[in-house]
Amino acid sequence: MVWGSIIAWYLFLAGVSAGAYCTAVWVGWKFPQAVTIQRTGYYLAPPLLAAGLLLLVIDAEAGLFHPWRFLYLFTNVPGSMMTDGTYIISIFMLITLYQAYLTFQGKKAPGWMTGVGLLFAFGTAAYTGLLLGVVKAVPLWNTSILPVLFTVSALSTGIAMTVLLATLTDQNACSQLISLKKIHFGLMILEGLLIFIMVYITSSANETAFQSVMSLLTGEWSLWFWIGLIVVGLLIPLLLEGLELFHSRSLQVTPAGVEATASGTGSSPFALTIATEGFVLIGGYLLRFLLLAAGTFVTLF
Amino acid sequence: MARYGMLIDTTKCIECFSCRVACQMQNGLPPEESFIKFYGQEEGTYPHVSYYTVPVQCQHCENPPCVANCPTGASYQTEEGVVLVNEEKCISCKYCMVSCPYQARVVSEKTGVVEKCRFCIEEVRQGKEPICVTTCVGNARIFGDLDDPNSEIVRAIAKKKAKPLRPDLGTKPKIFYVR
Ligand code: SF4
Ligand code: SF4
Repeated sequence: MVWGSIIAWYLFLAGVSAGAYCTAVWVGWKFPQAVTIQRTGYYLAPPLLAAGLLLLVIDAEAGLFHPWRFLYLFTNVPGSMMTDGTYIISIFMLITLYQAYLTFQGKKAPGWMTGVGLLFAFGTAAYTGLLLGVVKAVPLWNTSILPVLFTVSALSTGIAMTVLLATLTDQNACSQLISLKKIHFGLMILEGLLIFIMVYITSSANETAFQSVMSLLTGEWSLWFWIGLIVVGLLIPLLLEGLELFHSRSLQVTPAGVEATASGTGSSPFALTIATEGFVLIGGYLLRFLLLAAGTFVTLF
Repeated sequence: MARYGMLIDTTKCIECFSCRVACQMQNGLPPEESFIKFYGQEEGTYPHVSYYTVPVQCQHCENPPCVANCPTGASYQTEEGVVLVNEEKCISCKYCMVSCPYQARVVSEKTGVVEKCRFCIEEVRQGKEPICVTTCVGNARIFGDLDDPNSEIVRAIAKKKAKPLRPDLGTKPKIFYVR
């Protein structure tokens, strides 16, 4: 494995950061009164991205020992996918930092800035997939589905991380945001579908790709794939969130139900939320790690 | 300008690993790092089986994905078509490593820089040959200018019908193999 768990963490954290930003923006549009979750999202985005970048720097030891070499990342134009990504992530980092600062001041960012921020959030998320997607030497990665899959997963894990932390600070921060949960539910279904399509298409690409896919489905990584990614990362959260959504429908109609929600014992018990979102995050990391681990080089003969 | 390439005749390779050791000495590599890897190949079905070994190093692709993907410009191609790494620019992001279908790149334990075979370009510019060629016990290696129709290598490639590894990948490798 040329790229191991450190890079998996980087890809994961950059995605969560982008997703948390999008969550904050969307909640700001849809539920301006839900302040806690917006704040959480805006506060989360910069440190998560910074943590990811720090890991990247640690993995790039020649750069770590000679930090000025990182400047070449900006001067190498026209660049590789990684050069493009460096630009995208740097701009996104600046925007998230500024918006976290504005949030701290209790101010709102101008609409155009939020728009640009969203664009770069999607850019960051898609980039983490493109970085692998353009590598022809590793057939498992070399698909155009990967950027889409990583973007969907970034949004899903971003919502999960934001809801998780917001709920930890205020038990009821998210219990009323049914439409956010619906989106999250939809994203998880989409992610499952995309994984299925990727596995299906890639396995027929060539022999190496087939072997990679098989190492996920039945071989070396199958336990992590099925139990970790599919069951823990997707099916259990889908079930829990699905139950919650179903439950919320009956609750909303009766005043007693809404009260139950507000007291934290109703549709969204604290522990349940924590578990659901935690599982989604585990799944998000595993998705990236498994793709790195199962990606093998083309054969030479 | 010359366009350097190499021919490796696996039917003459006796798997003595002299080239690897000479290369390690030439490039100051520790024993566990090397620019030449050997792939043992079996062919046929019992009782008609044959075994041969294929030495693989940087193929100095004309269309090198490692150079295209290097984010800092540390990996580059010289006018002679030789792919080199400027270690002053390398951050060891390892993007070149995952991009190289021939797995020709090695991380230096000491500096973190990602290195590889450099066709002994400094020596070649002085009129010598790469050390793996001069060391080869079985005379399995020929080095030369692919643009010169009268060079030994061009004639040998034609005569022995030497072919690069996985030409279908589109990287246009410049090491030709007789198998
Ligand atoms: S063999 Fe690998 S390292 Fe050498 S030029 Fe081709 S892609 Fe680059
Ligand atoms: S490891 Fe060095 S040579 Fe390889 S892509 Fe990164 S900066 Fe370029």
